Amino acid sequence: MSAKKVALVIGSGSVKCAAALGLMKVFEREKINVDMVVGCSGGSLYAATIALGWSTQKAIDETLRLWTRDVTAARNWGAYLQLFGLRRFDERFGLVNDKLIRRRLSEAFGNTNLGNTQIPLFITATDFYSGEQEVMHGSQYSLQDALRASISIPYIFAPHKIGERYFVDGYLSDPLPVGVAIREGADVIIAIGFESPYQTRVSSILRYAFEISSITSNNLLQSNYAFHNLAHHSEIIPIMPEFEHRIHLFDTDKIPYVIDAGERATEEQLTYIRKLLES
Amino acid sequence: MTEHPRLGLVIGSGSVKCAASLGLWKVLEREGIQLDMVVGCSGGSMYATGIAFGDDVAYIEQNTLSLWTEDLMAGYTSNLRAAMTGEVRFTERSGLVDAEAATARIASVYGERRFDQTKIPLSIVATDFMTGEPAVLSQGRVMDAIRASIAIPMIFPPYEVDGRLLTDGAVSNPLPVDVAIMEGCNIILAMGFELPYRSRMRSFNAVQSHLNAVYINNILRATYAFYNLAHHAEIIPILPVFEKEIGNFDTAQLPYIIAQGEAEAEAQIPYLKKLMGL
Repeated sequence: MSAKKVALVIGSGSVKCAAALGLMKVFEREKINVDMVVGCSGGSLYAATIALGWSTQKAIDETLRLWTRDVTAARNWGAYLQLFGLRRFDERFGLVNDKLIRRRLSEAFGNTNLGNTQIPLFITATDFYSGEQEVMHGSQYSLQDALRASISIPYIFAPHKIGERYFVDGYLSDPLPVGVAIREGADVIIAIGFESPYQTRVSSILRYAFEISSITSNNLLQSNYAFHNLAHHSEIIPIMPEFEHRIHLFDTDKIPYVIDAGERATEEQLTYIRKLLES
Repeated sequence: MTEHPRLGLVIGSGSVKCAASLGLWKVLEREGIQLDMVVGCSGGSMYATGIAFGDDVAYIEQNTLSLWTEDLMAGYTSNLRAAMTGEVRFTERSGLVDAEAATARIASVYGERRFDQTKIPLSIVATDFMTGEPAVLSQGRVMDAIRASIAIPMIFPPYEVDGRLLTDGAVSNPLPVDVAIMEGCNIILAMGFELPYRSRMRSFNAVQSHLNAVYINNILRATYAFYNLAHHAEIIPILPVFEKEIGNFDTAQLPYIIAQGEAEAEAQIPYLKKLMGL
Protein backbone atom coordinates (compact mmCIF):
# COMPACT_ATOMS: atom_id res chain seq x y z
CA MET A 1 0.00 0.00 0.00
CA SER A 2 1.24 3.40 -0.94
CA ALA A 3 0.92 6.34 1.43
CA LYS A 4 0.75 8.66 -1.52
CA LYS A 5 -2.48 10.39 -2.32
CA VAL A 6 -3.60 9.42 -5.80
CA ALA A 7 -5.99 11.52 -7.88
CA LEU A 8 -7.70 10.51 -11.08
CA VAL A 9 -8.63 13.44 -13.33
CA ILE A 10 -10.93 12.71 -16.27
CA GLY A 11 -11.08 15.49 -18.86
CA SER A 12 -13.80 16.39 -21.32
CA GLY A 13 -14.23 14.17 -24.37
CA SER A 14 -17.81 12.85 -24.49
CA VAL A 15 -17.95 9.09 -25.17
CA LYS A 16 -14.14 8.85 -25.21
CA CYS A 17 -14.18 9.53 -21.46
CA ALA A 18 -15.27 5.90 -21.03
CA ALA A 19 -11.57 5.12 -21.46
CA ALA A 20 -11.40 5.93 -17.72
CA LEU A 21 -13.26 2.65 -17.13
CA GLY A 22 -10.44 0.80 -18.89
CA LEU A 23 -8.01 2.56 -16.60
CA MET A 24 -10.01 1.44 -13.55
CA LYS A 25 -9.97 -2.16 -14.77
CA VAL A 26 -6.18 -2.02 -14.70
CA PHE A 27 -6.12 -0.27 -11.30
CA GLU A 28 -8.49 -2.83 -9.76
CA ARG A 29 -6.43 -5.70 -11.08
CA GLU A 30 -3.24 -4.08 -9.82
CA LYS A 31 -4.84 -3.02 -6.52
CA ILE A 32 -4.04 0.65 -7.00
CA ASN A 33 -6.30 2.84 -4.90
CA VAL A 34 -7.63 6.16 -6.03
CA ASP A 35 -8.13 8.76 -3.28
CA MET A 36 -10.07 11.34 -5.25
CA VAL A 37 -11.71 11.65 -8.63
CA VAL A 38 -12.09 14.87 -10.63
CA GLY A 39 -14.30 15.01 -13.73
CA CYS A 40 -15.10 17.57 -16.37
CA SER A 41 -17.90 17.48 -18.94
CA GLY A 42 -18.21 13.93 -20.37
CA GLY A 43 -15.53 12.91 -17.88
CA SER A 44 -17.77 13.90 -14.97
CA LEU A 45 -20.10 11.03 -15.80
CA TYR A 46 -17.39 8.38 -15.42
CA ALA A 47 -15.84 10.24 -12.49
CA ALA A 48 -19.24 9.80 -10.81
CA THR A 49 -19.57 6.07 -11.54
CA ILE A 50 -16.02 5.49 -10.26
CA ALA A 51 -16.54 7.61 -7.14
CA LEU A 52 -19.78 5.77 -6.39
CA GLY A 53 -17.87 2.50 -6.53
CA TRP A 54 -19.89 1.06 -9.38
CA SER A 55 -18.40 -1.93 -11.17
CA THR A 56 -17.15 -1.40 -14.70
CA GLN A 57 -20.03 -3.48 -16.00
CA LYS A 58 -22.59 -1.43 -14.11
CA ALA A 59 -20.97 1.79 -15.34
CA ILE A 60 -21.14 0.55 -18.93
CA ASP A 61 -24.75 -0.57 -18.59
CA GLU A 62 -25.89 2.65 -16.95
CA THR A 63 -24.05 5.00 -19.30
CA LEU A 64 -25.37 3.11 -22.32
CA ARG A 65 -28.88 3.61 -20.99
CA LEU A 66 -28.23 7.27 -20.21
CA TRP A 67 -26.26 8.44 -23.21
CA THR A 68 -28.31 7.70 -26.30
CA ARG A 69 -28.83 9.62 -29.49
CA ASP A 70 -32.36 10.64 -28.51
CA VAL A 71 -31.16 12.88 -25.64
CA THR A 72 -30.44 15.55 -28.25
CA ALA A 73 -33.25 14.63 -30.64
CA ALA A 74 -35.95 16.90 -29.26
CA ARG A 75 -35.57 20.52 -30.29
CA ASN A 76 -36.07 23.33 -27.86
CA TRP A 77 -38.53 25.36 -29.91
CA GLY A 78 -38.24 28.24 -27.47
CA ALA A 79 -34.65 28.75 -28.65
CA TYR A 80 -35.81 29.00 -32.26
CA LEU A 81 -38.41 31.58 -31.23
CA GLN A 82 -35.60 33.47 -29.51
CA LEU A 83 -33.48 33.34 -32.67
CA PHE A 84 -36.31 34.73 -34.74
CA GLY A 85 -37.01 37.51 -32.31
CA LEU A 86 -40.38 36.08 -31.30
CA ARG A 87 -39.38 35.47 -27.72
CA ARG A 88 -37.18 37.52 -25.44
CA PHE A 89 -33.57 36.38 -25.69
CA ASP A 90 -31.85 35.40 -22.45
CA GLU A 91 -29.10 33.19 -21.04
CA ARG A 92 -31.25 30.06 -21.22
CA PHE A 93 -30.60 29.72 -24.94
CA GLY A 94 -29.98 26.11 -26.00
CA LEU A 95 -31.11 24.40 -29.20
CA VAL A 96 -31.91 21.05 -27.59
CA ASN A 97 -34.68 20.31 -25.14
CA ASP A 98 -32.92 18.98 -22.03
CA LYS A 99 -35.87 17.23 -20.38
CA LEU A 100 -34.79 13.75 -21.41
CA ILE A 101 -31.16 14.07 -20.32
CA ARG A 102 -32.32 15.46 -17.00
CA ARG A 103 -34.70 12.56 -16.51
CA ARG A 104 -31.97 10.06 -17.43
CA LEU A 105 -29.52 11.65 -14.97
CA SER A 106 -32.19 11.54 -12.31
CA GLU A 107 -32.95 7.85 -12.99
CA ALA A 108 -29.27 6.94 -12.88
CA PHE A 109 -28.14 8.98 -9.88
CA GLY A 110 -31.29 9.77 -7.89
CA ASN A 111 -30.76 11.96 -4.87
CA THR A 112 -27.07 11.24 -4.40
CA ASN A 113 -25.12 14.35 -3.48
CA LEU A 114 -21.47 15.21 -3.91
CA GLY A 115 -20.80 14.62 -0.23
CA ASN A 116 -21.67 10.95 0.01
CA THR A 117 -19.63 9.14 -2.61
CA GLN A 118 -17.24 6.30 -1.70
CA ILE A 119 -14.29 8.21 -3.10
CA PRO A 120 -14.27 12.03 -2.81
CA LEU A 121 -15.66 13.43 -6.07
CA PHE A 122 -15.07 16.85 -7.63
CA ILE A 123 -16.98 17.97 -10.70
CA THR A 124 -16.03 21.09 -12.65
CA ALA A 125 -18.30 23.40 -14.56
CA THR A 126 -17.88 27.01 -15.70
CA ASP A 127 -19.77 29.95 -14.24
CA PHE A 128 -21.63 31.29 -17.26
CA TYR A 129 -21.37 34.96 -16.32
CA SER A 130 -17.91 35.18 -14.76
CA GLY A 131 -16.24 32.55 -16.98
CA GLU A 132 -14.49 31.10 -13.92
CA GLN A 133 -14.12 27.41 -13.15
CA GLU A 134 -16.52 26.16 -10.48
CA VAL A 135 -15.44 23.11 -8.51
CA MET A 136 -18.47 21.27 -7.17
CA HIS A 137 -17.87 19.14 -4.12
CA GLY A 138 -19.73 18.42 -0.90
CA SER A 139 -23.26 17.70 0.17
CA GLN A 140 -24.69 21.03 -0.99
CA TYR A 141 -24.49 19.85 -4.63
CA SER A 142 -26.82 17.22 -5.98
CA LEU A 143 -24.90 14.88 -8.28
CA GLN A 144 -27.44 15.07 -11.09
CA ASP A 145 -27.34 18.88 -11.03
CA ALA A 146 -23.55 18.96 -11.07
CA LEU A 147 -23.45 16.52 -14.00
CA ARG A 148 -26.09 18.45 -15.94
CA ALA A 149 -24.08 21.65 -15.38
CA SER A 150 -20.77 20.08 -16.37
CA ILE A 151 -22.11 18.78 -19.71
CA SER A 152 -23.85 22.00 -20.83
CA ILE A 153 -22.34 22.02 -24.33
CA PRO A 154 -22.63 25.63 -25.52
CA TYR A 155 -25.49 26.31 -27.93
CA ILE A 156 -26.78 22.73 -27.54
CA PHE A 157 -27.84 22.52 -23.90
CA ALA A 158 -28.86 25.67 -22.09
CA PRO A 159 -26.66 26.70 -19.16
CA HIS A 160 -27.88 24.97 -16.01
CA LYS A 161 -29.14 27.00 -13.09
CA ILE A 162 -28.07 25.98 -9.58
CA GLY A 163 -29.23 28.38 -6.90
CA GLU A 164 -28.98 31.81 -8.45
CA ARG A 165 -26.13 31.00 -10.81
CA TYR A 166 -25.92 29.60 -14.32
CA PHE A 167 -23.28 27.07 -15.30
CA VAL A 168 -21.95 25.95 -18.67
CA ASP A 169 -19.69 23.10 -19.68
CA GLY A 170 -16.55 22.65 -17.59
CA TYR A 171 -14.36 22.57 -20.68
CA LEU A 172 -14.81 26.30 -21.26
CA SER A 173 -12.61 27.02 -18.26
CA ASP A 174 -10.33 23.95 -18.24
CA PRO A 175 -10.88 20.77 -20.27
CA LEU A 176 -8.51 18.71 -18.06
CA PRO A 177 -8.79 20.14 -14.53
CA VAL A 178 -5.51 18.92 -13.08
CA GLY A 179 -5.38 22.10 -10.97
CA VAL A 180 -8.21 20.81 -8.77
CA ALA A 181 -6.22 17.71 -7.81
CA ILE A 182 -3.14 19.84 -7.12
CA ARG A 183 -5.10 22.13 -4.79
CA GLU A 184 -6.61 19.12 -3.03
CA GLY A 185 -3.12 17.92 -2.20
CA ALA A 186 -2.71 14.95 -4.51
CA ASP A 187 0.83 13.52 -4.70
CA VAL A 188 0.33 11.53 -7.86
CA ILE A 189 -2.13 12.71 -10.49
CA ILE A 190 -3.32 10.41 -13.24
CA ALA A 191 -4.72 12.71 -15.92
CA ILE A 192 -6.76 11.13 -18.66
CA GLY A 193 -7.43 13.73 -21.35
CA PHE A 194 -8.66 13.97 -24.90
CA GLU A 195 -8.12 16.42 -27.70
CA SER A 196 -11.34 17.51 -29.26
CA PRO A 197 -11.61 16.37 -32.90
CA TYR A 198 -11.63 18.88 -35.73
CA GLN A 199 -14.27 18.92 -38.43
CA THR A 200 -13.07 17.64 -41.79
CA ARG A 201 -15.49 19.99 -43.47
CA VAL A 202 -17.98 22.50 -42.22
CA SER A 203 -21.48 22.35 -43.63
CA SER A 204 -23.58 24.26 -41.09
CA ILE A 205 -23.27 27.05 -38.57
CA LEU A 206 -23.48 24.54 -35.73
CA ARG A 207 -20.54 22.56 -37.11
CA TYR A 208 -18.71 25.85 -37.46
CA ALA A 209 -19.40 26.58 -33.78
CA PHE A 210 -18.12 23.06 -32.91
CA GLU A 211 -14.94 23.71 -34.89
CA ILE A 212 -14.30 26.91 -32.93
CA SER A 213 -15.04 25.04 -29.68
CA SER A 214 -12.49 22.37 -30.63
CA ILE A 215 -9.85 24.97 -31.45
CA THR A 216 -10.33 26.88 -28.22
CA SER A 217 -10.68 23.86 -25.97
CA ASN A 218 -7.59 22.15 -27.41
CA ASN A 219 -5.52 25.30 -26.99
CA LEU A 220 -6.83 25.67 -23.46
CA LEU A 221 -6.06 22.01 -22.72
CA GLN A 222 -2.50 22.33 -23.99
CA SER A 223 -1.69 25.59 -22.24
CA ASN A 224 -3.26 24.63 -18.92
CA TYR A 225 -1.60 21.25 -18.98
CA ALA A 226 1.78 22.77 -19.87
CA PHE A 227 1.45 25.22 -16.99
CA HIS A 228 0.37 22.69 -14.36
CA ASN A 229 3.02 20.25 -15.47
CA LEU A 230 5.70 22.89 -15.07
CA ALA A 231 4.37 24.45 -11.88
CA HIS A 232 3.52 21.30 -9.99
CA HIS A 233 6.15 19.65 -7.88
CA SER A 234 4.47 16.30 -7.59
CA GLU A 235 3.87 13.97 -10.46
CA ILE A 236 1.33 14.23 -13.22
CA ILE A 237 1.03 11.18 -15.42
CA PRO A 238 -0.82 11.90 -18.65
CA ILE A 239 -2.84 9.12 -20.17
CA MET A 240 -3.96 10.08 -23.65
CA PRO A 241 -5.59 7.08 -25.31
CA GLU A 242 -5.25 6.92 -29.05
CA PHE A 243 -8.22 6.06 -31.18
CA GLU A 244 -7.80 4.86 -34.72
CA HIS A 245 -11.42 5.56 -35.52
CA ARG A 246 -13.11 8.86 -35.07
CA ILE A 247 -15.48 8.69 -32.10
CA HIS A 248 -18.53 10.91 -32.37
CA LEU A 249 -20.62 12.42 -29.60
CA PHE A 250 -23.09 9.54 -29.47
CA ASP A 251 -21.02 6.59 -30.62
CA THR A 252 -21.90 4.64 -27.50
CA ASP A 253 -21.66 1.43 -29.51
CA LYS A 254 -17.90 2.10 -29.53
CA ILE A 255 -17.69 2.16 -25.72
CA PRO A 256 -16.14 -1.35 -25.49
CA TYR A 257 -13.46 -0.27 -27.98
CA VAL A 258 -12.92 2.98 -26.06
CA ILE A 259 -12.51 1.06 -22.78
CA ASP A 260 -9.94 -1.24 -24.41
CA ALA A 261 -7.99 1.80 -25.62
CA GLY A 262 -8.04 3.22 -22.09
CA GLU A 263 -6.85 -0.09 -20.68
CA ARG A 264 -3.96 -0.28 -23.16
CA ALA A 265 -2.92 3.36 -22.58
CA THR A 266 -2.90 2.72 -18.81
CA GLU A 267 -0.91 -0.50 -19.12
CA GLU A 268 1.76 1.41 -21.03
CA GLN A 269 2.20 3.72 -18.02
CA LEU A 270 1.87 1.04 -15.38
CA THR A 271 5.55 0.46 -14.66
CA TYR A 272 6.03 4.17 -14.19
CA ILE A 273 2.93 4.54 -11.99
CA ARG A 274 4.09 1.60 -9.80
CA LYS A 275 7.53 3.10 -9.44
CA LEU A 276 6.08 6.43 -8.34
CA LEU A 277 3.75 4.84 -5.82
CA GLU A 278 6.46 2.72 -4.30
CA SER A 279 9.17 5.37 -4.18
CA MET B 1 30.69 45.62 -22.73
CA THR B 2 27.44 43.91 -22.01
CA GLU B 3 25.29 43.22 -24.97
CA HIS B 4 22.19 45.36 -25.48
CA PRO B 5 19.18 43.31 -24.35
CA ARG B 6 16.62 42.49 -27.04
CA LEU B 7 13.29 44.20 -26.34
CA GLY B 8 10.04 42.90 -27.80
CA LEU B 9 6.53 44.31 -27.69
CA VAL B 10 3.57 41.94 -27.84
CA ILE B 11 0.11 43.41 -28.40
CA GLY B 12 -2.66 40.95 -27.60
CA SER B 13 -6.21 40.75 -28.88
CA GLY B 14 -8.73 43.26 -27.59
CA SER B 15 -10.37 45.01 -30.52
CA VAL B 16 -10.29 48.81 -30.22
CA LYS B 17 -8.64 48.62 -26.76
CA CYS B 18 -5.44 47.52 -28.49
CA ALA B 19 -4.97 51.21 -29.36
CA ALA B 20 -3.59 51.52 -25.81
CA SER B 21 -0.36 50.23 -27.38
CA LEU B 22 -0.04 53.61 -29.10
CA GLY B 23 0.14 55.24 -25.66
CA LEU B 24 2.84 52.80 -24.67
CA TRP B 25 4.73 53.46 -27.89
CA LYS B 26 4.60 57.24 -27.28
CA VAL B 27 6.25 56.69 -23.90
CA LEU B 28 8.98 54.49 -25.40
CA GLU B 29 9.71 57.10 -28.10
CA ARG B 30 9.87 59.87 -25.52
CA GLU B 31 12.29 57.85 -23.41
CA GLY B 32 14.38 56.92 -26.44
CA ILE B 33 13.83 53.19 -25.90
CA GLN B 34 14.06 51.16 -29.12
CA LEU B 35 12.07 48.06 -29.84
CA ASP B 36 13.73 45.09 -31.52
CA MET B 37 10.51 43.43 -32.61
CA VAL B 38 6.72 43.78 -32.49
CA VAL B 39 4.15 40.98 -32.35
CA GLY B 40 0.43 41.53 -32.80
CA CYS B 41 -2.63 39.36 -32.48
CA SER B 42 -6.15 40.13 -33.71
CA GLY B 43 -6.94 43.83 -33.02
CA GLY B 44 -3.33 44.16 -31.83
CA SER B 45 -2.06 43.31 -35.32
CA MET B 46 -3.19 46.69 -36.69
CA TYR B 47 -1.23 48.63 -34.08
CA ALA B 48 1.77 46.30 -34.24
CA THR B 49 1.89 47.05 -37.98
CA GLY B 50 1.73 50.82 -37.49
CA ILE B 51 4.51 50.66 -34.89
CA ALA B 52 6.67 48.35 -37.02
CA PHE B 53 6.41 50.76 -39.98
CA GLY B 54 7.09 53.77 -37.77
CA ASP B 55 3.79 55.45 -38.70
CA ASP B 56 2.58 58.58 -36.95
CA VAL B 57 0.32 57.97 -33.96
CA ALA B 58 -2.21 60.39 -35.47
CA TYR B 59 -2.11 58.49 -38.77
CA ILE B 60 -2.67 55.12 -37.04
CA GLU B 61 -5.57 56.63 -35.10
CA GLN B 62 -7.06 57.91 -38.34
CA ASN B 63 -6.73 54.43 -39.86
CA THR B 64 -8.66 52.93 -36.95
CA LEU B 65 -11.43 55.48 -37.38
CA SER B 66 -11.88 54.70 -41.05
CA LEU B 67 -11.42 50.93 -40.72
CA TRP B 68 -13.25 49.98 -37.62
CA THR B 69 -16.86 51.08 -37.95
CA GLU B 70 -20.04 49.39 -36.85
CA ASP B 71 -21.38 49.07 -40.40
CA LEU B 72 -18.93 46.16 -40.83
CA MET B 73 -21.61 44.16 -39.00
CA ALA B 74 -24.25 44.84 -41.69
CA GLY B 75 -26.30 41.79 -42.61
CA TYR B 76 -25.56 39.92 -39.37
CA THR B 77 -29.18 39.31 -38.31
CA SER B 78 -30.51 38.19 -41.67
CA ASN B 79 -27.45 36.02 -42.33
CA LEU B 80 -27.82 34.40 -38.90
CA ARG B 81 -31.43 33.46 -39.60
CA ALA B 82 -30.57 32.10 -43.03
CA ALA B 83 -27.73 30.04 -41.54
CA MET B 84 -29.89 28.70 -38.70
CA THR B 85 -32.74 27.62 -40.97
CA GLY B 86 -30.27 26.06 -43.40
CA GLU B 87 -31.52 28.38 -46.15
CA VAL B 88 -27.90 29.27 -46.78
CA ARG B 89 -25.17 26.66 -46.46
CA PHE B 90 -22.62 27.73 -43.86
CA THR B 91 -19.14 26.43 -44.63
CA GLU B 92 -15.61 26.88 -43.31
CA ARG B 93 -15.36 29.92 -45.59
CA SER B 94 -18.53 31.57 -44.31
CA GLY B 95 -19.13 34.37 -41.87
CA LEU B 96 -22.21 36.16 -40.63
CA VAL B 97 -21.14 39.40 -42.22
CA ASP B 98 -19.98 40.17 -45.72
CA ALA B 99 -16.21 40.53 -45.36
CA GLU B 100 -15.60 42.13 -48.75
CA ALA B 101 -16.01 45.58 -47.23
CA ALA B 102 -13.59 44.84 -44.38
CA THR B 103 -11.03 43.30 -46.73
CA ALA B 104 -11.26 46.25 -49.11
CA ARG B 105 -10.77 48.74 -46.27
CA ILE B 106 -7.76 46.86 -44.92
CA ALA B 107 -6.35 46.85 -48.45
CA SER B 108 -6.90 50.59 -48.81
CA VAL B 109 -5.08 51.28 -45.53
CA TYR B 110 -2.16 48.86 -45.84
CA GLY B 111 -1.97 48.51 -49.62
CA GLU B 112 1.03 46.56 -50.80
CA ARG B 113 3.05 46.97 -47.62
CA ARG B 114 5.13 43.87 -46.98
CA PHE B 115 6.70 42.39 -43.88
CA ASP B 116 10.22 42.83 -45.29
CA GLN B 117 9.71 46.61 -45.53
CA THR B 118 9.15 47.28 -41.82
CA LYS B 119 11.58 49.31 -39.71
CA ILE B 120 11.26 46.84 -36.84
CA PRO B 121 10.66 43.09 -37.45
CA LEU B 122 6.93 42.30 -37.26
CA SER B 123 5.05 39.06 -36.63
CA ILE B 124 1.28 38.62 -36.72
CA VAL B 125 -0.50 35.69 -35.14
CA ALA B 126 -3.61 34.02 -36.57
CA THR B 127 -5.07 30.54 -36.06
CA ASP B 128 -5.20 27.69 -38.58
CA PHE B 129 -8.92 27.03 -38.88
CA MET B 130 -8.56 23.36 -39.79
CA THR B 131 -5.88 22.32 -37.26
CA GLY B 132 -6.46 24.84 -34.46
CA GLU B 133 -2.74 25.63 -34.24
CA PRO B 134 -1.45 29.19 -33.96
CA ALA B 135 -0.03 30.46 -37.27
CA VAL B 136 2.78 33.03 -37.09
CA LEU B 137 2.94 35.24 -40.17
CA SER B 138 6.06 37.25 -40.94
CA GLN B 139 6.33 37.42 -44.70
CA GLY B 140 4.30 38.52 -47.67
CA ARG B 141 1.65 41.22 -47.66
CA VAL B 142 0.84 42.63 -44.23
CA MET B 143 -2.82 43.20 -45.15
CA ASP B 144 -3.36 39.47 -45.65
CA ALA B 145 -1.98 38.75 -42.20
CA ILE B 146 -4.11 41.44 -40.57
CA ARG B 147 -7.27 40.29 -42.35
CA ALA B 148 -6.64 36.71 -41.13
CA SER B 149 -5.72 37.72 -37.60
CA ILE B 150 -8.88 39.80 -37.01
CA ALA B 151 -11.32 37.22 -38.44
CA ILE B 152 -13.61 37.17 -35.37
CA PRO B 153 -15.02 33.61 -35.27
CA MET B 154 -18.36 33.16 -37.00
CA ILE B 155 -18.60 36.90 -37.76
CA PHE B 156 -15.82 37.43 -40.33
CA PRO B 157 -15.06 34.52 -42.65
CA PRO B 158 -11.66 32.85 -42.23
CA TYR B 159 -9.12 34.05 -44.81
CA GLU B 160 -6.73 32.06 -46.93
CA VAL B 161 -3.03 32.88 -46.77
CA ASP B 162 -0.50 30.70 -48.63
CA GLY B 163 -2.97 27.86 -48.95
CA ARG B 164 -3.97 27.83 -45.28
CA LEU B 165 -7.38 28.90 -44.08
CA LEU B 166 -6.80 31.21 -41.11
CA THR B 167 -9.03 32.70 -38.43
CA ASP B 168 -8.70 35.03 -35.44
CA GLY B 169 -5.41 34.67 -33.57
CA ALA B 170 -7.28 35.15 -30.29
CA VAL B 171 -8.78 31.65 -30.35
CA SER B 172 -5.38 29.96 -30.06
CA ASN B 173 -2.94 32.50 -28.64
CA PRO B 174 -4.51 35.81 -27.52
CA LEU B 175 -1.27 37.24 -26.08
CA PRO B 176 1.49 35.56 -28.10
CA VAL B 177 4.44 36.15 -25.79
CA ASP B 178 5.95 32.88 -27.05
CA VAL B 179 6.65 34.41 -30.47
CA ALA B 180 8.88 37.07 -28.87
CA ILE B 181 10.52 34.35 -26.75
CA MET B 182 11.31 32.27 -29.83
CA GLU B 183 12.70 35.33 -31.58
CA GLY B 184 15.22 35.69 -28.78
CA CYS B 185 13.85 38.66 -26.84
CA ASN B 186 15.23 38.99 -23.29
CA ILE B 187 12.73 41.61 -22.20
CA ILE B 188 9.15 41.44 -23.36
CA LEU B 189 6.49 44.09 -22.92
CA ALA B 190 3.24 42.13 -22.99
CA MET B 191 0.17 44.29 -23.44
CA GLY B 192 -2.91 42.17 -22.99
CA PHE B 193 -6.61 42.68 -22.56
CA GLU B 194 -9.28 40.53 -21.03
CA LEU B 195 -12.36 40.54 -23.20
CA PRO B 196 -15.46 42.05 -21.62
CA TYR B 197 -18.29 39.84 -20.40
CA ARG B 198 -21.92 40.62 -20.98
CA SER B 199 -24.28 40.99 -18.09
CA ARG B 200 -27.39 40.41 -20.19
CA MET B 201 -27.96 38.01 -23.02
CA ARG B 202 -30.29 39.96 -25.24
CA SER B 203 -29.36 38.32 -28.54
CA PHE B 204 -27.57 35.36 -30.08
CA ASN B 205 -24.69 37.72 -30.79
CA ALA B 206 -24.48 38.54 -27.07
CA VAL B 207 -24.34 34.82 -26.13
CA GLN B 208 -21.81 34.07 -28.83
CA SER B 209 -19.48 36.96 -28.05
CA HIS B 210 -19.80 36.22 -24.33
CA LEU B 211 -18.85 32.55 -24.81
CA ASN B 212 -15.92 33.55 -27.02
CA ALA B 213 -14.77 35.94 -24.31
CA VAL B 214 -14.93 33.15 -21.71
CA TYR B 215 -12.79 30.83 -23.83
CA ILE B 216 -10.33 33.47 -24.90
CA ASN B 217 -9.83 34.92 -21.41
CA ASN B 218 -9.21 31.43 -20.04
CA ILE B 219 -6.68 30.74 -22.81
CA LEU B 220 -5.07 34.12 -22.15
CA ARG B 221 -4.56 33.35 -18.47
CA ALA B 222 -3.34 29.80 -19.08
CA THR B 223 -0.88 30.71 -21.83
CA TYR B 224 0.40 33.73 -19.92
CA ALA B 225 0.93 31.67 -16.77
CA PHE B 226 2.85 29.10 -18.78
CA TYR B 227 5.04 31.55 -20.73
CA ASN B 228 5.81 33.44 -17.57
CA LEU B 229 6.91 30.32 -15.75
CA ALA B 230 8.79 28.74 -18.64
CA HIS B 231 10.68 31.77 -19.82
CA HIS B 232 13.93 32.80 -18.22
CA ALA B 233 13.88 36.35 -19.54
CA GLU B 234 11.70 39.12 -18.20
CA ILE B 235 8.08 39.52 -19.17
CA ILE B 236 6.56 42.83 -18.12
CA PRO B 237 2.79 42.68 -18.24
CA ILE B 238 1.10 45.93 -19.17
CA LEU B 239 -2.61 45.56 -18.60
CA PRO B 240 -4.40 48.86 -19.05
CA VAL B 241 -7.43 49.36 -16.85
CA PHE B 242 -10.48 51.03 -18.31
CA GLU B 243 -13.02 52.47 -15.97
CA LYS B 244 -15.52 53.02 -18.75
CA GLU B 245 -17.07 50.22 -20.71
CA ILE B 246 -15.57 50.14 -24.20
CA GLY B 247 -17.60 48.48 -26.95
CA ASN B 248 -15.99 46.65 -29.86
CA PHE B 249 -16.51 49.58 -32.21
CA ASP B 250 -16.19 52.38 -29.68
CA THR B 251 -13.58 54.33 -31.63
CA ALA B 252 -14.86 57.58 -30.09
CA GLN B 253 -12.94 56.47 -26.99
CA LEU B 254 -9.59 56.28 -28.80
CA PRO B 255 -8.04 59.31 -27.03
CA TYR B 256 -9.06 57.88 -23.65
CA ILE B 257 -7.76 54.39 -24.55
CA ILE B 258 -4.41 55.77 -25.72
CA ALA B 259 -4.11 57.89 -22.55
CA GLN B 260 -4.71 54.82 -20.37
CA GLY B 261 -2.04 52.90 -22.27
CA GLU B 262 0.34 55.80 -21.77
CA ALA B 263 -0.32 55.96 -18.02
CA GLU B 264 0.09 52.21 -17.63
CA ALA B 265 3.37 52.28 -19.59
CA GLU B 266 4.78 55.21 -17.59
CA ALA B 267 4.32 53.22 -14.40
CA GLN B 268 6.58 50.48 -15.83
CA ILE B 269 9.30 52.75 -17.22
CA PRO B 270 11.61 52.85 -14.16
CA TYR B 271 11.62 49.06 -13.98
CA LEU B 272 12.12 48.70 -17.73
CA LYS B 273 15.03 51.16 -17.68
CA LYS B 274 16.66 49.27 -14.85
CA LEU B 275 16.37 46.02 -16.79
CA MET B 276 17.74 47.65 -19.93
CA GLY B 277 20.69 49.08 -18.00
CA LEU B 278 19.67 52.64 -18.93
